[in-house]
Formats: sequence, structure tokens, C-alpha cells
Amino acid sequence: MNRLYDMEPRVMDDEMLKLAVGEQGPRDEARQLAKQEGILFKDVLSLQLDFQNILRIDNLWQFENLRKLQLDNNIIEKIEGLENLTRLVWLDLSFNNIEAIEGLDTLVNLEDLSLFNNRISKIDSLDALVKLQVLSLGNNQIGNMMNIIYLRRFKDLRTLSLSGNPVAEAEDYRTFICAYLPDLVYLDFRRIDDHMKELAEMKHQCSVDELKHQESLMQAQLEDEQARWEELEGHKAAFVEHLNGPFLFDSMYAEDVEGSQLSHLPGVGELVQTYKDKFVIVCLNIFESGLKQQEKRKAELDTFMGCVQEAVQEKQEQGKHKIAKFEEKHLLTLSSIQDESELTNFEIKMAEHSEDITELVNVLVTLEMQLVEQLEETINMFERNIIDLVGLFVENVQSLMAQCRDLENHHHEKLLEIAISTREKIVKGELDEDLPDAVRPLFVDKDTIVNAVGASHDIHLLKIDNREDELVTRVNSWCAHLVDKIHKDEIMRNRRRMKEINQYVDHVQSELDRLECSDLLD
Amino acid sequence: MEVLKEKVEEEEEAERAERAEKMMRPMEVRKEDTTRTQEMLRDLERKLSEIEVSIPEKPSTFTKDAIDTSKLPLSYQSNTPKEEHLLQVADNFSRQYSHLCPDRVPLFLYPVNECNVPKFVSTTIRPTLMPYPELYNWDTCAQFVSDFLSAVPLPDPLKPMVKEEEKAPPKKYAVKPPRDLTSRFEREQEVKRQEGVKAEEEKRLKPGERLAEQESAKTDPLHGLRVHSWVLVLSGKREVPESFFIDPFTARSYSTQDDHFLGIESLWNHKNYWVNMQDCWNCCKDLVFDLGDPVRWEYLLLETDKPLLSLTEEEDDGTNDDDDAENLGKEDEDKSFDMPCSWVERIEISPEAFETRCPNGKKVIQYKRARLEKWAPYLNNNGLVCRLTTYEDLECTKILEIKEWFQNREDMLELKHINKVTGLNIDYFKPGHPQALRVHSYTSMQPEMDRVMEFYEKVRVDGLIKREETPRTMTEYYQGRPDLLSYRHVNFGPRIKKLALNSAESNPRPVVKITERFFRNPAKPADEDVAERVFLILDERIQLRYHCREDHLTASKREFLWRTEGDSKGNKIIMMPDMCLSFEVEPMEHTKKLLYQYEAMMKVKNEEKLARHQAWESELEVLEILKLREEEEEARALTISIYDTKRNEKSKEYREAMERMMHEEHLWQAEAQLDYLAPFLAQLPPGEKLTRWQAVRLKDECLSDFKQRLIDKANLIQAWFEKETQELQKQQQWYQENQVTLTPEDEDLYLSYCSQAMFRIRVLEQRLNRHKELAPLKYLALEEKLYKDPRLVELLKVFV
Repeated sequence: MNRLYDMEPRVMDDEMLKLAVGEQGPRDEARQLAKQEGILFKDVLSLQLDFQNILRIDNLWQFENLRKLQLDNNIIEKIEGLENLTRLVWLDLSFNNIEAIEGLDTLVNLEDLSLFNNRISKIDSLDALVKLQVLSLGNNQIGNMMNIIYLRRFKDLRTLSLSGNPVAEAEDYRTFICAYLPDLVYLDFRRIDDHMKELAEMKHQCSVDELKHQESLMQAQLEDEQARWEELEGHKAAFVEHLNGPFLFDSMYAEDVEGSQLSHLPGVGELVQTYKDKFVIVCLNIFESGLKQQEKRKAELDTFMGCVQEAVQEKQEQGKHKIAKFEEKHLLTLSSIQDESELTNFEIKMAEHSEDITELVNVLVTLEMQLVEQLEETINMFERNIIDLVGLFVENVQSLMAQCRDLENHHHEKLLEIAISTREKIVKGELDEDLPDAVRPLFVDKDTIVNAVGASHDIHLLKIDNREDELVTRVNSWCAHLVDKIHKDEIMRNRRRMKEINQYVDHVQSELDRLECSDLLD
Repeated sequence: MEVLKEKVEEEEEAERAERAEKMMRPMEVRKEDTTRTQEMLRDLERKLSEIEVSIPEKPSTFTKDAIDTSKLPLSYQSNTPKEEHLLQVADNFSRQYSHLCPDRVPLFLYPVNECNVPKFVSTTIRPTLMPYPELYNWDTCAQFVSDFLSAVPLPDPLKPMVKEEEKAPPKKYAVKPPRDLTSRFEREQEVKRQEGVKAEEEKRLKPGERLAEQESAKTDPLHGLRVHSWVLVLSGKREVPESFFIDPFTARSYSTQDDHFLGIESLWNHKNYWVNMQDCWNCCKDLVFDLGDPVRWEYLLLETDKPLLSLTEEEDDGTNDDDDAENLGKEDEDKSFDMPCSWVERIEISPEAFETRCPNGKKVIQYKRARLEKWAPYLNNNGLVCRLTTYEDLECTKILEIKEWFQNREDMLELKHINKVTGLNIDYFKPGHPQALRVHSYTSMQPEMDRVMEFYEKVRVDGLIKREETPRTMTEYYQGRPDLLSYRHVNFGPRIKKLALNSAESNPRPVVKITERFFRNPAKPADEDVAERVFLILDERIQLRYHCREDHLTASKREFLWRTEGDSKGNKIIMMPDMCLSFEVEPMEHTKKLLYQYEAMMKVKNEEKLARHQAWESELEVLEILKLREEEEEARALTISIYDTKRNEKSKEYREAMERMMHEEHLWQAEAQLDYLAPFLAQLPPGEKLTRWQAVRLKDECLSDFKQRLIDKANLIQAWFEKETQELQKQQQWYQENQVTLTPEDEDLYLSYCSQAMFRIRVLEQRLNRHKELAPLKYLALEEKLYKDPRLVELLKVFV
């Protein structure tokens, strides 16, 4: 604020941060260590930067693990540069010159936010702060009571301060807040007593109830949408989305200008209707078989995963058991080696123990190799089965799609017949009904009408082909991707395990070596 | 056949009363039991209601001399004509039987009762329903009966009294076994009620008694010769799936296939008597308990046959008549003859007697190498209700182990198990001990010895399940703690000698090593979740082992060693890389930092302090529990249910106070209703309305009468006062005259008289004064009352 303007604004540079970190770091003996080693910014949990005359927040991106940040009593004008501080729980920006709430969208863990004594006039942009418990907005310029309603979305909000704002001067300020934020416990540093709550409820019950009603409607709508979205996702996972209805059929006619024009011909309307009914039934067939196949694939995958899990678990238990046994012996041997004074005995024991270690490695690696072989076989089997399943599904879909095409061909023939007969009638002037103007040009000559019908037919076939292609491509790529992932996962697992074994053995060996060294030193 | 005797028991409606007294005879005589179950009852409920339990008082007084026959009801001392008729029938039956089966033992048909009157066995059973739910089902009922009875051996284990001999020496044979029989009956009855068994069966057991057999099975020369009577429960009613035996002494049920029962001579219930005609070469295993089968079971009375034959029918009595004709040839006399009513009195068991269970509330049963003692609750002031002592030898001199069961203990002790060989004591507690103790096993009550304490962990704040101690270690197991600690093992070193003596409080043993284990905390990554930490306190070393990651074989480890000495330059070492040895499954950057290690070490050092403190607290707690246990053992306090109105002093006092208040209120009300005017009103002609003149007179009379009474009373007190004074003066005069010659005793007598007389005089004086004080007030009060009397108020108004 103004009082600090007589000083030069400072930049948040490395030096300032290092100083602050150094000062606020560990105390006493630990400080010595910290100095010795230096502290990485990313290990810092809490940082205090008050009264530094900071104008712009900057250079904080390294503090990934920061939990508490104090930037109060500076001259900051804009909230920025905090995007990386996603673990932040406590943020103090009081006594600055901030005018708008912004730049907090990544701080999802924030529980305590202080913006006391700034120039904020509107509460918003806090949507991401779902865990917010304490919000301090006193001494700002918030003038509209409706800002309070925005705060209803924070279910954990218990403490709020708004005193010193224009809103706080309103007569029913306290009751209004208590009514609209019933879970609030402290307002303006004072506990809300039951009496106040009752009063607030009496005063604002009507409007609050209305608001609640609206909110619940919104909520229901959201849930509804969510449910629909989830259903669609499920269908997509089965690769048969939009096949449980006339969507495909409708899309065939959506881009088909001629088709819709032709449907005005006498008798075509009925024809299209029966065609549509039949078509939709086939689509539904595809849809259902798709869901069924999806179930089957899922069950297959689950069984496979379960079996793999079991096999891995078993080997793991065996390995753990071996290691536990070894560890027991290892400790005993180490202490006995340590106590050994005779050099020859010492060496013998060292050699023996080295052998033990080698044997442990062998055992562990053998277990792992066995597992790899077993899993490879299982994975191959699964791969065959899943490919078979997918093939079956594709075949089924293709045959059903062929039915669709047959229907289309049939429809096309009928349509062509009607079109030609209509044209003949037109030529003979026998046509009773009036045709829409847009359709008339089609009947100029025979080629035109045949072409028009043919174009409609082509579009329909194209749509059907496209849908089929899309389905087949996606299911195949899903299958390939799955198999690929399983192989990769297995390789990764194997590498991790080998690394783990090596690491452990290295550790054990190093313990032994250290003993040797220390002994030699003695 | 080895069949010895036939005894029939009727189970259905046992007469408890009789059994206690009269049934005994018959029972003694037989020694073998045959049980028979009949379901003649029309409704289950009736039967149930009739079930009875044997009398409690009798057991203790079961010598013939102890029974005062003169006080018994008439039915005990004589037979009704119907009973006489029945006896004739039985006699006839018995004669035919001995003629047809000369090899078999005479039937146990009509033993004499305590009054030396022969009674048919069936009539000794009287089904009775007792008001105790425990007696409704056979198992608990049998238990009660077995507790209630005590066994007295027969003079001759082979012969129960025979019917023929009834008249002569029945009393001699009176033994306890009969009671047992009754008890079985009861059980049977209960069972039957349950089952609703219709068919009754008679069984005869060969003499072989189970108990006898068990004790000396191989050497018993009387094997197969002993007689016994027990209860047979027939299947069919009250959901009893198959017939079984109940032994009245042990309350145990046996399959009819059991080897211990060698055979059955006869079977009876309150309705009939059946003789077993089946071969018992294979014990009772081949016996068919279809009492309706006249080939297998020879019945005594005709009517009851049919019901038995048709197991499904409940009430066959009525139907019997049709078939009587067929059986006429055999037993003409029996035709259409009903079993007379039981001559036994109804059994009454008071709640006290029921609770006391055993005779005098105490019972001792001697088994082979074991002895079982039972007491009624609250009989022993330490709550002991049962003690089982097992011995190493047959003579019962070397005790192997003792088990003592307790009830109503304030400290919730339930069972004390003492093993005399190992010296191990195990105490079991019910939930509710102040320290949540569940099991405590120990060899000595001294601290720091081998002991195991188990706890009801849900009650304990610290979730302790078990604490095991040896002289040098203490192991604790936990469950459900917020810090997920599951195990703590503390090793102690030898105590350092100090001035203080062996009190652990002032000089705790040094802790050498503490091992703590934790459950996995799913909220933390495995690499930061400690699975085990070992504090090697003397070495100044702490070992941490972390939990294993889900898909890993190895777990991270970390070991802290610290050195307190300075480095070569004399600087204090804060942290050196070699003070923290760690193995990490997945090496992390930040854990390599000395600062991190230093902080971790400081944290874990604090935890060590905490662990040591907790170990110390555990030691204190053990001492506390031991002290508490000792106090509890000494106090032996028993709890009394608030519903136990007899024992609960508080509720008793309360109830009495309430009663007293009620009583006082009643008195007060009676007084309030006292009508002062009544005697005077009575002098006036009835039914007429009072005139004013009459009213005034009435009032005056009443008042003057009252005044007179007050004066009389004052005079009376005065007279008493004067009399006492005179008496005292006389005595004083006499004393002065004879003072010289008085013996010290006389003098004492005189002095005590004087003091008493003075006391009386003083009291009289006080009463007189008080009366003088109160009399005018009382007079005024009455006057006022009369003015307000509804009968006079109108008429006296003028004068007011």
C-alpha cells in the first residue's frame, strides 16, 4: 500500500529467495548442515516474504513442494507466477495492492487464503479452490452483496472475514451472510452464535429456499448430463456409439439433398419409413452385439489380469521369503565376521558369505526368469484369444453392415422404379399431385432423375461404409494397443524387478565390503 | 441274557414330589433303570405344565428315619380301591411273567413307599410344570435334577428291592437313586413335552451301570449285573428327532446305541408299564422302541397300547377300547382299566431352593481321578460355584490340577485354573474388569516373572491385546491403534544395584532393546511407512525397516548410529554420512541429504524416548494390575443384581422405606378421618336435621368431653409420676436403713434402680410439662375444627 511507495520496489530474484530460505530454514545444528549442503528450493515447505517491497511475484516456479507462502505487506498488484505451487495450502497476500482475484486456478489444495486489505471489488475466479476453509477479504472494496452467493460453492468454508468492505455497512450484512452460508462458523473473527443463525434463517428463509431450489435443479441437470456422457463413453468403449437408434440413418439423409427431395414423390414417404424401420433394427443388432462383445472382452481381460497378478504375487512371496531368510543369516554372519579376529577365518567367512550372496542372486533371478517364461506364454495365449474375439466381432459387424447395404440397395431399386414411373407420368401429364418446385428440375429428363437417385444411393452407401470402417479401425487399433501395452508392461516389470534385485545385492555386497575395509583399517 | 432286573420308569409325567420321597423305594429296588416315555398327554402344553422337578429338601434327609411318615398325606399311607385293584393286576401280571420267563429277574412293579405301602411304579410319577424356564428343556432340566440328587449306593448293587418284598423292609432300601429316576422322568417329560412324543416305550437295561463300568470296566466282577434306572426320551414330540437316554446322575444324554447300557428289563411312565421281550445280547443297540408292538414290549395295562402303536397319534387312549377284545385272552383283568391318579403330592420348588440346586447348596461328586464340587451362588463368600479337582492317582492324593468357577464376582473373575504340576495359574475374566483383563496366566504374583495377560482390547484405549512377560523381556501386542503399532518387544538388562531395594518403581530395570512393529498405513507411501524399528539403546543404534512396496521383493532399511564424541578437532559432530546407513528400494535425491537424515534421526530419537517411556509405563501398569488383583482377591466382593430383591440391600431398604411410608400415610389418613362428633351425634335421633340449639350443645359437649380427656390424661401422668417418686423414696429409705449390711451386688442393684427410676421420673415430668403446654392448644384446635365442621358450620355462624 501507499506507505511503502517511498521505497524502491524490489525484484524477487534468486538472491532474495536464497536469503529468505536460508534464514527461515532449520535452526541450531541443522542450520549448520543446511549451510553446508545448501537447500534446494523444491525441498522448501514454507516461505515468508513479507515487507520486502515486492511489486511482482516471480521466480517461484522451483518451489514445487511449498505448503505455506507469505507475501503480505508488499506492493503486489497482480496475482501471478503461482501456477507451479500446486501443493500450496496456505497463501497470504494481505496488505498488497491487488485489484482482482486471478491466477489461482492451479492451487487446488489451498485451504487458507488471505487477501486482506487489497483493492478487490469482486469475488470470483476461486472455482478451483475446492478445499477452501478460511477466506479473508476484509478491507477491500466489495460492494455487491451478491458476491456472497458465489461463496456457497465452497462446502468446507468455515471462516470468512469481510469487514471493512462496503457490503459490511449494509444493515442486514451479518444475517444475510449467515443465511446464505449456513455452514460458516466464524464471521469477521467472531463466532456465529445460534441466536444469529435463527435470526438469519427467519429473515432470509424465502430467498434462500428459492436459491436452494435453483441450485438443486442445476445440480440435477449436471448429474443428468454426466450420466448421459458416461453412457455415451460406455458405448464408445464398445465402438458402437450412436447405433442404438436412427442416428446412422438420419446422418445418411442429412447430407443427401436429392434423397430428401425425392421423398416428396408419391409413395416414397412410406417406402422411406419402412426402410428406416428395418435399418434401425439392424443397427440395434449391431449395437447389442457390440455391447455383448465388449463384456466378453472385458471379462477376458479381467481374467487375464487376475491370473497375471496371481502369478506375480506368488513369485513375489517366494522371493520375499528367500530374502527374509537370507537377511536373517546375513545379519548373523556380519556380526560374526565382525567379531572374528583370526585373519584366515575372517577370509573364509567372507568368501562363504559372498557365495551366499551369489546364491541368493541366482535364486532370485531364477524365480524371475521362470515368471517371465510363464507370463510370456500366458500373454501370447491372451493375445490370440483377444484377437479372435475382436475378429469375431468385426465379422459379425460386417455381416450386419452388409444387411444394411442390402436394405439400401433394395430401397434404391424401389426408389428408382418410383422415380422412373413418376417421370413417365409427368411426361404423360398423368401426375395428379403437384410436386414441390425444388423436385421438378429432377424430372427434366431420365438421366437426371436416375443420376439423382444414384447420387442419393451413393451417399448412403458411403455413410454406411464409413461407419463400418470407423468401427473396424478403432476396434483393431484398440486391440493392437492393448496387446502392445501388455507386452511393454511386462518388459517394464521385468526390468524393474531385475533392477531391484541388483540394487539389493549391491547393497548387501557393499555392507560386506565395508566390513572388509573397516577391518583392514583396524 | 444277562438281564438282571427290569425297572421301568415313566418319563412323561414324573412325580417329583414322590420321587423325592416315595419313588425312591422303587428305584432303589431296581437299581437298573428302564425308562419309558409315553406321550399320553393330550396337549403338549398340558404336559409341559405338568412337568416337575424333584424336591430339593429331600436329598439331604434321605435316610428312612429322617422321613416323618406321619406327616405325609393320606395318599402315602394307604391305597385307594383303584390302586388295590391295580396292585392285583400287577401281581397277576408278575405271576404270569415269572411263570413264562422263569429265568428272568422278577419285575420291579410295586415297591413299597416310605410308609411301607406298596405302590405301583407308574403311580409314582406325576407330571408337573414348573415355573422355571430352565426346567422346560431336557438338558437344563436334567442338569438341575442331577445337581439336585445325590447318589447313595444300594446295599446290594445287584438287587433293587423286589416287589414281593415291598412290605417288609422298604425303608432300608430307600436310596437316592430313586430321585435320579425322577429326575430323568422330569427330563423326559420335558423332552416329551417338547417333542410331543406319543409313544411311550419301556426299556429295561441290563444291570450294567455306566458309571460303575467306567470306573472299573475291566475289573468289575459285577459287570452286566448292576442295575440302574434312567430316562428314555422317545422321539416324535417337541422336535425330538430320535429316541435317546438321559442319565439322571450326570445329566448327560446318550444314544440308544451306547455301549454303557447293557439292556432293559422294563419301562414305565405314568400311564403304563412295559416289559422288554427283546433280546439284549447286543446291549440296547437292536432294541426297537415301538411300545405299540406287543411282541417286543409286553404291556401291563391294555388301554395304553394303541397309542404306542400308532406313533403319529397323540391321544390314543380313546381308541384303545376297540382293541381290548383281542387282548382279552392275555390279561382279562386289565381290560378297560385306567391307571389311577398319582398318589404323590405336587412338587413345589421355591425360587431359593431352585437357586440352591444341590442339597444344602452343596454337592460333591467323586469321579475316577477327579472330584467335582458344586455350590449354590452366593453360598461361598468368594463367589465359588464349582470346583473340579483332577488327581494323578486313583486314591486322589496327588492333585494334578484344579479348576474353580466363580459367579457374581465384582472383579469379573470367571474361572481359575491351577496347574499343580507346572505351578501355572490361569485366571479368566468376563468383560468388565476395571483393567479390561481377559486372561491372566502366571506362576507367581511377584512382578517381573513369567506371565501372560490378555485384555479385552476394544475396551482399552491403547488397544493392547496381550502382554507376555519373562524375567528379562516384555512383549505386547496391539490392535486398532491410531499409530498402527502392532507389537512391542522390550529386552531388559540386569538391574543395576542401587540403594533402593527391589522396587521396580524406584529402580526400573535398564532397557536394552525395544522392537516395535507397525501395520501398514495406506495413507503413506511404503518407503516412508515404518514396518519395524529396533532401538538398540546400549549401542546407540536405531534400525528402521520400512514396509515393502506392493510389487517389490525388498523393503527399504535405514540404520542410525550416532557418536557423541567430537571429531579429531574436538568439534561436536552433528551428522556424518556414515551415521545413517540406508538401503532404498528406489533411491531418492532428497533422502541423501544430511539435513534430511539428521531430521529423521532426531525424530526417531524422540520416538525412542517415547518408546522407553511407554515401556516404563507398561511395567508400572503390570505392578498396578498385580496390586489390584491382590486387593480383589482379598476383598472377594460379590455383585448383586438390582433385580435380586432379596440380596440387594439397597433395593431392600428402599422397598421397606416405601412400605413404611405407605403404612404411615395410611395411618395418617385414618386419623384424619376420625370423626369427633360421631359419638355425640349418635345420641341424637337419627335422620333429623340439627337445630341450632342442638348444634351448640353438641359443640359444647364435644369440647367439654375433650377437656375432660385432657385433664384425665394429665392426672394419669401425674399419678404415674407420684407413684414413681414414692417408690424411689421408699427405696432410698430402705437403702439408708440397711446400708451397712448390704452386699456390693445389692448395692449395685440399688444404684442401677435409682438411676433408672430417676430417668423414668424425669421423662414423666417432661411429658407432664409438655402436656400442660399443649393441652390448651389442642383444645383450641378442636374448637376451631368444630366451628369449621360442615355439619355445624351453618348453625354456629352466629357465634363466631
